Amino acid sequence: MSDRFIRAINAGEIAPGGMKAIELDGSEIVICNCGGKYYAIQRRCGHMNAPLEMGTLDGIYLTCPLHCAQFDITNGEALSGPVPRDTGQEIPPPFLAGYLQNIGMMMKHVCTESIRTYVIKLEAGWVLIRL
Amino acid sequence: MSLCQVNIESRKKSLHHFYEKVVGPLGFKFTPDEEIMNFLLEQEVVLEGKHGIPFCPCQPLRNDRTRDMQIVCPCIPFHRKHFDDIKRCWCGLFVHKDVLDPGKLPQLPPKEVKNE
Repeated sequence: MSDRFIRAINAGEIAPGGMKAIELDGSEIVICNCGGKYYAIQRRCGHMNAPLEMGTLDGIYLTCPLHCAQFDITNGEALSGPVPRDTGQEIPPPFLAGYLQNIGMMMKHVCTESIRTYVIKLEAGWVLIRL
Repeated sequence: MSLCQVNIESRKKSLHHFYEKVVGPLGFKFTPDEEIMNFLLEQEVVLEGKHGIPFCPCQPLRNDRTRDMQIVCPCIPFHRKHFDDIKRCWCGLFVHKDVLDPGKLPQLPPKEVKNE
């Protein structure tokens, strides 16, 4: 990690509780405004790479929009894995049942990893990120 | 659940954060008995690790999704009448906001619930 801080966005661009995805020097990053305090995390979910800025931010906890894995944005820690899907009461047709079973079997081996966080600082109304 | 590593304390903290927002408007709060609260939250983290969902630690799973989803913590909305009568949820993680000493709350089987 270098000591180079890069100007990312104007702090006023994100309302409290909001998130914004940016690309900085080839890195996909999400900047979160947690009640006036800013955090920067990698954009891709540690489970299946979903774009996290489309998820939900509640305090310091971010829920992925795809399978609801949760992360602590202050340190990137994975707090929970995907929430199991409700396949409903209907029994799927055999071709689909086999496919779903196969997918389910593979999904069991997909880990939810913690996500990367970035050092951030505010300067003259700008959010700067250290890459 | 496919989670490589989970820090139980961090997950307990986040569950506390989310539950507080749900149970408060329902007239409940976390039990003031911190030892019980920590123990129950820890059990929920274990259950979440096993099933992907933090089920109530004091209720059995029946492999019936409709019934099992009614014991996902906090299960207050599904068993409100009973909980209102005993002023706590079954496992005791949540108590009515006016309860100061949950140890003094009476036990009441579901069949004797007044509101049912």
